[in-house]
Amino acid sequence: MITETSWLIPLYPLIGALLTIPWSPGLIRRTGPRPAGYINIAATGMALIHSLLAFNALWNSHSSPQFFFAPWLQVADLNLNISLEVSAITLGAVILIAGLNLLAQIYAVGYLEMDWGWGRFFALMALFEAGMSALVLCNSLFFAYILLEILTLGTYLLVGFWYNQPLVVTGARDAFLTKRVGDLVLLMGVLAIYPLAHTWDFRELAAWAQTAEVNPTLMALVGVGLIAGPMSKCAQFPLHLWLDEAMEGPLPSTILRNAVVVATGAWVLVKLQPVLALSPTVLTVMVAIGSTTALGGTLISVAQVDVKRVLSYLSSAYMGLVFIAVGTQQPAAALLLVLTYALAMALLVMGAGSTILNVITQDLRQMGGLWSRRPMTGLTVLVGAFGLVALPPLGGFWAMLKLVTGLWAGSHGLLVGVVLAVNAIAAFSLARFFGLMFAGKPHQMTVRAPEPIWLMMVPMMVGVGFTLHLPLVLQTLGLMPDFSTLNMDMALALTWASIAGFSLGAVVYVGQFGENPNRFIPKGLQNLLAFDFYTPRLYRLSVVLVVDLLSRLTDWLDRYFVDGLVNFVGLASLVSGETLKYSNSGRFQFYMLTISVCVVVISIVMSWHYLPDIFTAAFTLMN
Amino acid sequence: MLTPLLLIPAVGAIALACWSGCSAQRARSLALATAGTTLLWTVWLFTQFDLTDPGFQMREFLPWIPQLGLNYDLGLDGLSLLMVALNSLLTWIALWSSPTTLDRPRLFYSLMLLVSAGVAGAFLAQNLLLFFLLYEVELVPLYLLVAIWGGEKKTYAATKFLLYTALSGALMLAGFLATVLLTDGLDFRYMTAMGQTLPLVAQTILLGCLVVAFGIKIPLVPFHTWLPDTYVAASTPVAMILGGVLAKLGTYGLFRFGLGMFPDAWALLAPYLAVWAAGGVLYGAVTAIAQKDIKRMVAYSSIGHMGYVLLGGAALTDLALTGAVTQMVSHGLILAILFHLVGLVEAKVGTRELDVLNGLMNPIRGLPMTSALLVLGGMASAGIPGLMGFVTEFLVFQGSYATYPIPTLLAVTGTGLTAVYFIILLNRTCFGRLDNAIAYFPKVSFTEQFPALILATLILFLGIQPNWLVKWGEPTASSMVALLLPRSVEVIAGDRAPTSPVALETPADLSHKALPIAVAGLKSLP
Repeated sequence: MITETSWLIPLYPLIGALLTIPWSPGLIRRTGPRPAGYINIAATGMALIHSLLAFNALWNSHSSPQFFFAPWLQVADLNLNISLEVSAITLGAVILIAGLNLLAQIYAVGYLEMDWGWGRFFALMALFEAGMSALVLCNSLFFAYILLEILTLGTYLLVGFWYNQPLVVTGARDAFLTKRVGDLVLLMGVLAIYPLAHTWDFRELAAWAQTAEVNPTLMALVGVGLIAGPMSKCAQFPLHLWLDEAMEGPLPSTILRNAVVVATGAWVLVKLQPVLALSPTVLTVMVAIGSTTALGGTLISVAQVDVKRVLSYLSSAYMGLVFIAVGTQQPAAALLLVLTYALAMALLVMGAGSTILNVITQDLRQMGGLWSRRPMTGLTVLVGAFGLVALPPLGGFWAMLKLVTGLWAGSHGLLVGVVLAVNAIAAFSLARFFGLMFAGKPHQMTVRAPEPIWLMMVPMMVGVGFTLHLPLVLQTLGLMPDFSTLNMDMALALTWASIAGFSLGAVVYVGQFGENPNRFIPKGLQNLLAFDFYTPRLYRLSVVLVVDLLSRLTDWLDRYFVDGLVNFVGLASLVSGETLKYSNSGRFQFYMLTISVCVVVISIVMSWHYLPDIFTAAFTLMN
Repeated sequence: MLTPLLLIPAVGAIALACWSGCSAQRARSLALATAGTTLLWTVWLFTQFDLTDPGFQMREFLPWIPQLGLNYDLGLDGLSLLMVALNSLLTWIALWSSPTTLDRPRLFYSLMLLVSAGVAGAFLAQNLLLFFLLYEVELVPLYLLVAIWGGEKKTYAATKFLLYTALSGALMLAGFLATVLLTDGLDFRYMTAMGQTLPLVAQTILLGCLVVAFGIKIPLVPFHTWLPDTYVAASTPVAMILGGVLAKLGTYGLFRFGLGMFPDAWALLAPYLAVWAAGGVLYGAVTAIAQKDIKRMVAYSSIGHMGYVLLGGAALTDLALTGAVTQMVSHGLILAILFHLVGLVEAKVGTRELDVLNGLMNPIRGLPMTSALLVLGGMASAGIPGLMGFVTEFLVFQGSYATYPIPTLLAVTGTGLTAVYFIILLNRTCFGRLDNAIAYFPKVSFTEQFPALILATLILFLGIQPNWLVKWGEPTASSMVALLLPRSVEVIAGDRAPTSPVALETPADLSHKALPIAVAGLKSLP
């Protein structure tokens, strides 16, 4: 019964968001903005409880997925139904989203204690939760597109939260436009697939894909359109820059964004997997994009000095692994990876935020020696790091192992290498992250840095608990990959890759042997990685330049050619009138001459047809 | 039943004009009361409208000059109903948002009401000459509204507007006269003109004439250059009426007379119109990006958005035409809210320059509520789902994709470019740091905000529940598409014509269960 009311789950946070309206423009000033936050935490709590109860009911009754629909719009031959899928997977995803948002919101109460924009902040967090829970519950590509697009707007507003800072403004702009580009190409895909499949329902699309026979070129184009949306959401190359710039937004929103918002793209990708599998080209494109981003992202992350940027590029990289998983048709591995990634990344971001808050700086080079002052934060970061890379027995290991086993079985040897390399570099980057922050002697900025307020510690500790217990949870839910199907060689290889990455990083950054570990790396390569393969410049020289030039050109044409022509016509008629008035001489004879000449000309013209006859007649007469 | 839509505002206008001792405040109240009554009457019309009848309802006929074929002949179908409603609503809202400190308030309000009456009559006219008459009649008050109460370069703008529209009227009259005279009669009834059986060549020429005539009014690129000048020079309420309602007269005329009277020629020209529409969308959006004046930017956005309407009309499907009809309404509402907010910003901050404006989102010294509404309006215009603009644009795209994939995809790109300039607008005006030295703006009162709040509510509500909008236009759109001979559609659309959707052979396990309550279903309309 409670599963049937699952459609209420996204509505709780939405109502919470609506209830904050009186505080946002300052209609209620007497209480200060804090009640807005508490209302939203309560709403998220209700959503979490509801989803837990629904999940429990569904799990205990062992029922198959349930599908619901409600009519939305009927026009002509188009019937749009809001369709929902209530299953263990979707409810599990909802629990993850609501749970992480609850943690992030409690964390925000501590982190944004002195901020004046509470109403806006919590309303937007609630909007994100509502949008994402609706997205995972919804079973229709069309509504998935709608929700992704609404989340794009949410990203714009949330990244632009501190809107009076110039970097924030450009960050918000770039986030919005990059995601919107992806969304619109997705919209093109959505438009294009309907005439082929006559449905947007994910299940019906999958059923259609089993027997569909479509033109491969067309299907490749449609497929590329469909993956463009997830590409921009998951911050995949070349649409990855926004995630880096989005780090200008408030940190508690980054917890949610890096952990689950980027994964919305992965979710849609998994849902669309049967359709995408229709075109081998699309699969290849996905694998190529995923590998590029995974390798590039981890490498760039190693070269970042900003705490949040290290993590943001790791997000892109792990989403790249999800692209590889879906591209090699392993949706289950992709979902498992998203789950383990989300928890671990949330921990890492929370740990980073805890440091930033009272160290004041985000520059890793100015940090160090924090271990003695804040062991719990250190522990959080460590657990997050271990949970993210493939280190047994934590969650990340099983997800990666499942992926690699599948890759090996599908004889994608090269991709196995890519995953191992990504894993090793990610481990190295995280060791560097940890080492620069916590190891060594305290620097000027880190001398006075106590653990933060309990409001931030509690979510962190809860997160640590969940990450550590994730394997047990997976075991209980039967999500743990079956031991007999797993490739033990791969398990060893993965573990060794992680250990190698961690040890190398630990030696260089925790043990701090040697003066400057950078000197072995050529300057050009360092800069290439530190400046994100010069992507900002790439954008500026390509798309931005083209649009800018084009807009100036059309504006110029509009002003001086199109409108100029019109004004010329106007001016010409005025001038000709003015000029002609001087030809009036006032002499009667001249007017008479003009009139008679004109009469003659007109009569000749009018009798033109008969002129030959007249001439012939005259000719015959003369003869 | 329909005459009050003309009569109430006309009587109000005359009363205002004659009442010499009337104070500014009282003139405003009287004008608002008149417009409000018209609006209520329109609401009542909605309750009386029969959705099952796709033809003209509530006919009214009064012989006027039968020798000329000019008669007072009104009728209402779904398309007219929506347009009339837009007119009544926006007139009331524009009157509300006109500044209280106007020069010559009686003249202003009475001219505004005259425009409203004329436009309502044009939307209802069932006689070609009557339509032409009313189309031309509201030109005079509009000229005065721009020329007297306008801003910079107002006489230039007003004259340009007058000349363009007069040209449009002349071409239209030529088209109408030729149609009727070629069919050997003096019967200017719309129904008769619809049944004409002219040769295709003649039809095409006449349609071309009408397309250019209405293309000037809409306006379509390259006949658009009067628009930015006029919209920018006009005061806020006049710009709202010009962009929100008057531009619809062009698209309305195009569909009613172009598509309605010459379906065969329309089908012939449709592919070119689609390309033209996509070009217009891109042109408007790209040009808007380069603008430095926010009102001018909004004006160019209007040019782009009218392209979606044309695309929907050219696509020859029920869905696209329904989309086009509803897009006319959503464009009207969105443009009105944008002009209102831009006017508010100009009134409070004193400038419309992008390079000067900054940080209006500031909750203490900026205009936070206005900024929030501006975000909503901009996003609605950029087609973000959940708002009205998306639904209508989507219907157009979905309907026209099957017929014209490439122009449709270009138009989708246009919505991306729309997002670009609205982001520029929002980032420059609402975001950023407010300069404390100059930030002594007068507070925006609730009264000033009120029109925007109403429009925002409508935009949001119809975005979530589009049935309430779509239902009214759909039967008419279907009947108009049905006019297009199947043969001509086949010839033009060829194998790309939408095949009737083949129901998927649903496997047994794809069971669905209706939710116990309808989340968003509109069970029945009044």
